[in-house]
Amino acid sequence: MKIDYRDIDEIIAREGTDKRFVIPILQAIQNKYNYLPEEALRRVCEHTQITPQQIVSVASFYSQFRLFEAGKHIIKVCDGTACHVKGAGLVYDALSRKLDLKEGEHTDQTGTYTLEKVHCLGCCALAPVVQADSITYPHLNSSKAEKLLADFAKLSRQQKERPARKPVERPEGEVRITLDSCCAASGTAAVKQAVEKVLAEERLNVRFKPVSCVGMCSQVPVVEVAPEGQPPHFYAQVQAEDVRHILERHFRPRRLIDRFRINVLKAASYFQDEADGNGMRINALDAKDKQVASFLGQQVPIATEFRGSIDPADIEEYLSRGGFEALRKCLETMAPTAVVEEVKNSGMRGRGGAGFPTGKKWEMLAAQAKSPKYIICNGDEGDPGAFMDRMLLESYPYRVIEGMLIGAYATGASEGYFYIRAEYPEAAASIRQALNVCRERGLVGERILGTDFSCRLQVYEGAGAFVCGEETALINSIEGGRGFPRIRPPYPVEEGLWGQPTLVNNTETFAQIPFILKNGAGRFSAIGTEGSKGAKVFSLTGKVNRGGLIEVPMGATIRQIVEEIGSGIPNGRQFKAVQIGGPSGGCLPASLADIPIDFESLREAGAMMGSGGLVVLDDSDCMVDIARYFLSFTQNESCGKCTFCRIGTRRMTEILDRICSGKGKVKDLEEMEMLAGWTSKGSLCGLGKTAPNPVTTTLKHFRHEYEAHINGKCPAGKCKELITYSINKKCIGCTICAQKCPVEAIAFRPHEKHEIDMELCIRCNNCLEVCPYEAVDVQ
Amino acid sequence: MIRFKVNHKEVEVAGGAYLLPALQALGYDIPHLCYYEGLEHYTSCMLCLVKDARTGALIPSCSLRVEPEMDIITDDEEIFEARKTGLELLLSDHVGDCEAPCTKACPAHMNIPLMNRLLQNGKADEALEVVMKDIALPGVLGRICSAPCEKICRRKDIDEPVSICLLKRYAADSGLYEPSLPEQVEPALQGRKVAIIGSGPAGLAAAYHTQLRGVQCTIFDKAPVAGGQLQAIDEAILPKEVLDREISFIEKTGVRFRMGEAIDKDAFLRLKESYNAVVIATGPLEEPLREWGLETYKQGIQANRSTYETNLPGVFAIGAVLKPMRMAVKSVGHGKEASYCLLQYLKDEEVKGEPGIFNSRFGRILPEEVQEFLKESNDHHRVEPIYGLSEGLKLEEVLEEAARCIHCDCRKIDTCKLRIYADAYRADQKRFGGAERKAVKKVIENGAALYEPEKCVKCGICVRLTEKHRETYGMAFIGRGFDIEIGTPFHETLSTGLDDIAEEVVRACPTGALALRSPDPPDRRL
Repeated sequence: MKIDYRDIDEIIAREGTDKRFVIPILQAIQNKYNYLPEEALRRVCEHTQITPQQIVSVASFYSQFRLFEAGKHIIKVCDGTACHVKGAGLVYDALSRKLDLKEGEHTDQTGTYTLEKVHCLGCCALAPVVQADSITYPHLNSSKAEKLLADFAKLSRQQKERPARKPVERPEGEVRITLDSCCAASGTAAVKQAVEKVLAEERLNVRFKPVSCVGMCSQVPVVEVAPEGQPPHFYAQVQAEDVRHILERHFRPRRLIDRFRINVLKAASYFQDEADGNGMRINALDAKDKQVASFLGQQVPIATEFRGSIDPADIEEYLSRGGFEALRKCLETMAPTAVVEEVKNSGMRGRGGAGFPTGKKWEMLAAQAKSPKYIICNGDEGDPGAFMDRMLLESYPYRVIEGMLIGAYATGASEGYFYIRAEYPEAAASIRQALNVCRERGLVGERILGTDFSCRLQVYEGAGAFVCGEETALINSIEGGRGFPRIRPPYPVEEGLWGQPTLVNNTETFAQIPFILKNGAGRFSAIGTEGSKGAKVFSLTGKVNRGGLIEVPMGATIRQIVEEIGSGIPNGRQFKAVQIGGPSGGCLPASLADIPIDFESLREAGAMMGSGGLVVLDDSDCMVDIARYFLSFTQNESCGKCTFCRIGTRRMTEILDRICSGKGKVKDLEEMEMLAGWTSKGSLCGLGKTAPNPVTTTLKHFRHEYEAHINGKCPAGKCKELITYSINKKCIGCTICAQKCPVEAIAFRPHEKHEIDMELCIRCNNCLEVCPYEAVDVQ
Repeated sequence: MIRFKVNHKEVEVAGGAYLLPALQALGYDIPHLCYYEGLEHYTSCMLCLVKDARTGALIPSCSLRVEPEMDIITDDEEIFEARKTGLELLLSDHVGDCEAPCTKACPAHMNIPLMNRLLQNGKADEALEVVMKDIALPGVLGRICSAPCEKICRRKDIDEPVSICLLKRYAADSGLYEPSLPEQVEPALQGRKVAIIGSGPAGLAAAYHTQLRGVQCTIFDKAPVAGGQLQAIDEAILPKEVLDREISFIEKTGVRFRMGEAIDKDAFLRLKESYNAVVIATGPLEEPLREWGLETYKQGIQANRSTYETNLPGVFAIGAVLKPMRMAVKSVGHGKEASYCLLQYLKDEEVKGEPGIFNSRFGRILPEEVQEFLKESNDHHRVEPIYGLSEGLKLEEVLEEAARCIHCDCRKIDTCKLRIYADAYRADQKRFGGAERKAVKKVIENGAALYEPEKCVKCGICVRLTEKHRETYGMAFIGRGFDIEIGTPFHETLSTGLDDIAEEVVRACPTGALALRSPDPPDRRL
């Protein structure tokens, strides 16, 4: 790769020469070259205060950075929990085969594609998902994945931008579409283009409006049509070609309606076979419909107030619904101590996972004499299977900013950062845009709302490291270092960013704050349970009919969430367990589904709230595989600093690998339990201390599955080394499976019952996916 | 000052002090690898865990300050287990041998790689000193040894084993070494005396090693000249002058020889009375000996295999009298090991034999490792002595052959903290085994330092030291998690990375990952 030093120098001039700018500089270089050429890094060291030691250790720490030349296009296979349980591994293998990659290779021979596994793109309701450059493919399986490359090649040639429309005056109505990342992934962008095209071509006097996420992620793209003076109509899973019909239905003569079959959404059937289609092209959703009512009706929107009805980017809409009133109230009528007191009285506990009382944390920071003080919004949501923070940042940027400003006022912080995960570019863009608007309006920066209170806020983008969700690692990262956690005490409230007192709160925590200050602590604490107040946002994913982003009062039971809000398990399968709290959490069996979700109950059950990932598992999910999935996730994300986490998680993963491949021994279980105990006692930070949780909870509740593996059986039929495929009597000899088999393990014999040669079979699951007659069994 | 409790005792330390140095100053020995005075704490190895009795939590003492009311437990069963597990995890990812396989295989446990390094630098005198620390008859064994060391030498996996036996012979024949007797004999050993029956290799070795500690040894033998079975060896293989030279060398250390004195049962009982200990090294068991009151079995005297103690207190048995054997080096090894037992017995200590210490091992060389090991060696085939076996190796041949050694041993064998703690906590390196091991890598350049990344425990001391001293390149953490490595940025050379402070960094490294290649600065750089 040829490096033009002028480009590097320009990047340095733009980002700065101080050591702390190393991550933004590296990001800019990678943007330019798709990887980090050594020459460029050396140039940076020559012209800044950044040392070779620093740049190499930072560049090699974060998974976003590539140190080797990559292909022209990057194909990212999401390996988040929801994607994992829905077969992301098979999708990865299929793409790898298609690109003819050998073990350890990531870029194809022609240098066109680089295949990467990534931890959770945050589109869990669309699992499994693959992102090719900026195009996201939802609901893949092994056989669809094979077609993906051809489709992508076609699309990337076609992509063109359409000119924006002029704003509409006195519109006849509104068309609303949610445009956050997971909607975009499901094809909302194409729907949006179609809407704009139809509006332009038909010269309809209708306003197009992007709106905040409504949380019905399993139904996206959702188009909401609101003719002036009428209640809105919802359409679920809309395709670009449906748009014209939908719009004409509301803004054209009624006679056209007869042209469509209108179906009230049957989410259950739709979630599974949307791609194959069964004639139901258009799905009108009625807000009063039972399905929708049970999804939305059980929820208590606090962080997600006004979901689906306001334009996230439009500050006017936020203001017109009481936005920034809480901040104004604080600045104009309350002393900082009174704000702290109010938050304490509300019983609010941090939504990042550990549940530390927010008011108490604020009080501790307020008591610090040193200045300046910093405030950080932790938006490094790394849990695979969770996307609450992303949605809040994309859909409610002003609310999060407001909450943060209230925090800054209460604690005396004068400067703050939004630390946003690398995988969430839209979230960072949304906050940046909102901050710009706030600055113009005097809501952020000097003398806010004309008072003496000043607070500067800025966005800092992470670079791909789960451990940076840990507050001390996050701080090291902002300072331009590796995301190594450090021991507490001292806690960040005493010695944080640049050694100064620092408040680190989770995104959702800040999003709840305006409600408390606006409505009073009492309103907030009236919701929830004894020890856990308010509502909690969860991303409900996995084997559930209606996955999505939900906000429920603390104390709701797992059963309510899964069966009522989520409408139960699809495909007539059995509800087996929920994985709650991501890699730090645990698996709770269906038999414990009646425990209320609050900090204490979950901890007692051996799980934890975590940041709010809730993955539903059915009887086709292997619990040993789930434990291995989470443990290998944490093992991959371990920073490598302390012995127990670095080596302990690795050794445990090896034991689980052995068990999943049928080579486990009975004493392995004991050994693993013991190692889990020491890893949790001896690790430096929360990542290591909680890493064994998925293993210990599955060992506790599903020990029989481990024992079955040791005896050579995977009861759920998931673990490749322990399963066999066979063809049953339903086979009519249609040869589809034989055609799709990538290794010719099925002989092409039309009209004869097919046979699978298990010697050749690579367990890619293609045959099972394509067979129209359910003639393939897996055991 | 802050008052707090250690093991339930009230103590006081200066305010702001960190726990680990405070506990050290109070005389508690807390294991640690990543802590280094003068550097900020780093909290990596987790060996310094202690318990706060108030919460029962295990806390890393290097990184937390003493707080009033703390109630610290420095050692209990849980802490011991935690440290032991930590060590075992580190050892499961530590690829390297403490002692080289040749040393382990040598019945006398001789430090062969060190001898090779000295010979390769032309230092025959020092080489002989190394040899004679363990082998009383180097010139003799240099001619007749069956050399189990060469059978296990890793170099044979590449081409042929190093010619260890002949190298040792060269050291014996060309080196000058005068063992020094202790200026002051340990009080517990003063005036003690030992009778040794039999002047063969076992008896000679036992006498030599014991005498050097200041204990008067007397050898009894019915033969007129010392040497036992060695006297019967063909002159062409073992010239008499070599044997005589080495026996007189032993005599010079003060060992008394009473030749021509046959010991029968009565004489034995008298020796038992008048000496503090008796060693039976008479060679293959003869019938009359069965009457001496010793437990015997078909092949020889019944004795403890590791302490050489017989059923009679103060009577030890070594060499072929235990079981017929043909390997002289084994007898020499017995003699050396028995000497440890004798001294322990004389001092009234528990008789345990030569102290064994933890030994890390990694097994066979992988094909991809051959090049790594050859980095510190040459690719020549084994040198066969040009003037024939009877002449042995000449200087040029020695320099070349000694340089064939691939140095499997660890250069920090005596100072490696990982080894010392592993021993103290009785850590089992295999406990978390089972997975594929990492491949050995060696980073060697012109400088004196040697870097073996697979021995690194990622304590970060080198990174922090080079950062503190503002080395232009220094050492950096590369990658993360289990695959984290420490290396020079941009693949710069080790000497570029460790420009100004190589010596301090090497010394500070708690394991053998960073070491000096030679115990002495090498005379000629390779």
